[in-house]
Amino acid sequence: MIIARVLRGGVLGVVLLVVGLLVALALPWFIYPPVATDIIAWALFAVALDLLLGYTGLLSFGHAAFWGSSAYATGLVAIHTGLPFYLAVLAGAMVAAALAVPIGFLSVRRTGIYFAMVTLAFAQLIFFVANQWRSVTGGENGLQGIPRNLFGLDLSDAFYFYYAALPMILLGLLVAWRIVHSPFGRVIVAIRENPARARALGYSVDRYKLLVFVLSAFLAGVAGGIYAVGHGFASLQEVYWTTSGKVVVMTVLGGMGTLWGALLGAGIVVQLEDYLATAGIDANGIVTGSIFVITVLLFRKGIWGTVAQLTGRRRGGDEEAPDVPEPPAARPVGADPETTRSA
Amino acid sequence: MGRFKKVGALVTTLAVGGTLAACGGGGPGGDSGKITDDKVVLGVITDLSGVYSELAGENAVEAVKMAVEDFKAKHGDDAITDNIEVISADHQNKPEIANTKAREMYDREGADAIFDVPTSSAALAVAGVAEQNKKLFFDIGAGTTELTGAQCNPYTYHYGYDTYMLAQGTGTTITEKGSKNWYIIYPDYAFGQDMNKSFVNAVEGAGGTVVQSDATPFPNDNFSTFMTKAPGLDPKPDVLGTMQAGGDLVNVVKQYNEFGLREKGIDLAVGLMFETDIASIGVEPLAGTLFTTAWFWNMDDQSREWADKFKERTGDRPTFDHAANYSAATQYLEALQRAGTDDADKVNEELNGLEFEDFFARDATLRAEDHNLEHDSYLVEVKEKSEMEEDFDFTKMVETIPAAEAFMPAEDSGCEMG
Amino acid sequence: MDSLLQQIFTGLVSGSFYALLALGLSVIFGMLGVVNFAHGAFYMLGAFGAVTVLDTIGVSFWLALVVVPLVLGVLGMVLERTLVRRLTALDPLYNFLLTFGLALILQDLVRLKYGVSSQPYARPEEMQGTFDLGLFTYPRYQVFVLVFSVLLSVAVWLVLSRTRVGMIVRASTERPELTRALGINVGRWITPVFGFGVALAGLAGVLAAPMRAVNSGMGGDLIIVIFAVVVIGGLGSVFGSVAAGYLIGMLTAVGNFYVPALSQSLVFILMALVLLLRPAGLFGREEGVS
Repeated sequence: MIIARVLRGGVLGVVLLVVGLLVALALPWFIYPPVATDIIAWALFAVALDLLLGYTGLLSFGHAAFWGSSAYATGLVAIHTGLPFYLAVLAGAMVAAALAVPIGFLSVRRTGIYFAMVTLAFAQLIFFVANQWRSVTGGENGLQGIPRNLFGLDLSDAFYFYYAALPMILLGLLVAWRIVHSPFGRVIVAIRENPARARALGYSVDRYKLLVFVLSAFLAGVAGGIYAVGHGFASLQEVYWTTSGKVVVMTVLGGMGTLWGALLGAGIVVQLEDYLATAGIDANGIVTGSIFVITVLLFRKGIWGTVAQLTGRRRGGDEEAPDVPEPPAARPVGADPETTRSA
Repeated sequence: MGRFKKVGALVTTLAVGGTLAACGGGGPGGDSGKITDDKVVLGVITDLSGVYSELAGENAVEAVKMAVEDFKAKHGDDAITDNIEVISADHQNKPEIANTKAREMYDREGADAIFDVPTSSAALAVAGVAEQNKKLFFDIGAGTTELTGAQCNPYTYHYGYDTYMLAQGTGTTITEKGSKNWYIIYPDYAFGQDMNKSFVNAVEGAGGTVVQSDATPFPNDNFSTFMTKAPGLDPKPDVLGTMQAGGDLVNVVKQYNEFGLREKGIDLAVGLMFETDIASIGVEPLAGTLFTTAWFWNMDDQSREWADKFKERTGDRPTFDHAANYSAATQYLEALQRAGTDDADKVNEELNGLEFEDFFARDATLRAEDHNLEHDSYLVEVKEKSEMEEDFDFTKMVETIPAAEAFMPAEDSGCEMG
Repeated sequence: MDSLLQQIFTGLVSGSFYALLALGLSVIFGMLGVVNFAHGAFYMLGAFGAVTVLDTIGVSFWLALVVVPLVLGVLGMVLERTLVRRLTALDPLYNFLLTFGLALILQDLVRLKYGVSSQPYARPEEMQGTFDLGLFTYPRYQVFVLVFSVLLSVAVWLVLSRTRVGMIVRASTERPELTRALGINVGRWITPVFGFGVALAGLAGVLAAPMRAVNSGMGGDLIIVIFAVVVIGGLGSVFGSVAAGYLIGMLTAVGNFYVPALSQSLVFILMALVLLLRPAGLFGREEGVS
């Protein structure tokens, strides 16, 4: 069925998918393997955020809470049980999803820009908890020594670990893709476009939002868990607000509401950060800040969205093309009573 | 390069499903008596842009470069190699960057040893990489006792200071000098909690009392709560011990003065302070404050001589982190010279238990049991402004804490070298 | 009891900063629908402004209290004209992201220029020493900060409620749709109001310089607390932001005293409670809440 769907996406869709898979398979041959692993972990994280930001029109500025809580939970499970890391990551992602239920429940009560502020504040709460709960998280020393167990395979070389982690990431991306292309996905886009109408049609808007929020947190958790296993530790950095900001920059730079854009954005930002660490340019904030300012002012659709628009021949009835919908914000204020400020 | 071999190995590994070691990597070659790739590479991972960039940072890299130049000058043609390179990376205090860069340095850039690495989570992460890669790591910038405790390993040395040593010097000495009652405030995260524990032990061990110790939020900009509380404690404390660092420390000192605690008979003792902190707070508010340091640049002629060379080169006076980086790099290169190889295990044999003395480390031992550098440390006092002879001439010696007492006894460290 | 009163007083002093920052944030939000993420950065610039004018041209604290906010206000207006304005017609998320980017840039520029160590800044001569408040004595400068911020908040309130300009601003802050529907030309007040909000943040920064560490990171974490403050008070409610500011200051200080481990989390826990029970905020109106 998936294959049928892809085929319906037209030649371009198939080509993109094949190219994407080839890039994923070849990545650690061109890029230093630990960095390549970072890229795919962040890519899934960015896609998870895009489910909310691009498709549901909700900017979560606190997604580090889920990435980070899963990083810790994955680490604890891996250290204390010695289970294969797939299971540890799954457990971590479930913790993230469980945490997302109360946070999401409270956050979806406020929409638009409020949502961003509230999620940011909740993530900061999680940060304080992680910082103080030293007996579990190791505090600022971090949770060190997370093993890479997988049926006795030796994954100490990052090159092999990449290929061990890749299937899980691809599975996560597939889940995101399925969500977007399901009836459920169409409902969330409808909610983004016109919540009042969706409500009138009988959809429980808040419940849908909460469900996307939890799913997104789960996928962010998968990504965070793999990241923690890849590095062998989890630290406070994982739950700090700069991590939330970083994943937003990836999604916005790549292009909101495109999934592909999030992948691209993750690749660029991780590579850039890696480069800056040794380039002798100690101006990380200026670089990241400028990316935000320039993207938001000049090409709001992000790289993927802009390229798609420039080359854009719309193919009717095509499943892939609407993947470049108008970003939620391209509409004027007032068109949508929900995203308009709620004074 | 080796990729096909890797895939071959991958296939084999998967097929056999066993624990075949991935033999592709560079690993320390069996060729002892030589220098791999005819090159010795020293990596410095430090904070070039964040909160530690002044007390460590670029100048830590310069210190290691100085050590290399001085080593070459000293040994001339007899040097084991004259091809010694220094590379550096900015970890921005993020452990994951430190971790990736350490891997990259050891695996790809042929680094033989890594230096500095402030921020304890980053330091512990790099220690893990050093152990995996069987390459040496000298941590200088981080203060956690974990490095030489539960998370110690045969390839990691902790060189300079740790929280135990800071507390030992300040807590014990001040208590012994008659200030028996302490009020301690510490930031509520690992470093602060460690410091608090060490201070309480030190003060009580010296016959004093910790009237109260309070965790404070971190970061925090209003310490008024604690300042108003201090004089009312029973018994009234003689000393306020603050374990805050950086910007929080500045806040504490500003508010300590605002609330006039010194006039109320409560002295100030600081857990960890660098010259860079004194410069930003100003000497007047701090004059008379006691703290422990691993070294300071104008403590004697020998140190001053090095500090002058350092200033000529960088324009700045060195902190103890800079001096310790120089010292660690020098001791490493000398060990390399003696071992006649850059093979980490052979160099390690030279370093384990090494007793030495240089301008930074006096009466020093690189303890074999836990790889902590044991050396003299110093209780110092911030000068009055009128006593300062030049910029950065901030501190004067109160007492030398002998090496054997300054650091946690190896048997208490909890380190089990694998 | 004395000590509780003293903690409450301490809290009000902290609350002064929260209140001034939340007030500026709220006015800007009301007028433009923009949540200014760079608000913490402007607070930081205010403190650096005070340090810089003192070090370079010897401008005293008192003069800095006037000059620095004015300069920052102009900077704010320029930013509104050149950048923020381009995005106000779009979803507010874009300006949120824009100002987030600006905050990162401003913070990094200051770090490159001044380094990471805190800058020394002495209390003004007149404000050394302590002040006897009857039940306890308190540092003179902190008493000044509290009195000054309360007076300033009241003054802003009076301007907003008694003058025509103020009415327009407040009306569009608290009932934007209605104001537009009445055909009031809000447009020409947008730039000055943005500048005013920024100036308030700068003023808070100048006030902070003598008693807090002045470094490039000083506004970074603070802005998140301010976000929680305005969510609790009701963003867009001028009175609510100020009241919530003082309230949270007190709550944190009392928390510091009795349950230090929790004190930083208290503000976020309160926010969660408010969202659960009164999603529009303590002083906000229910409209617009989903």
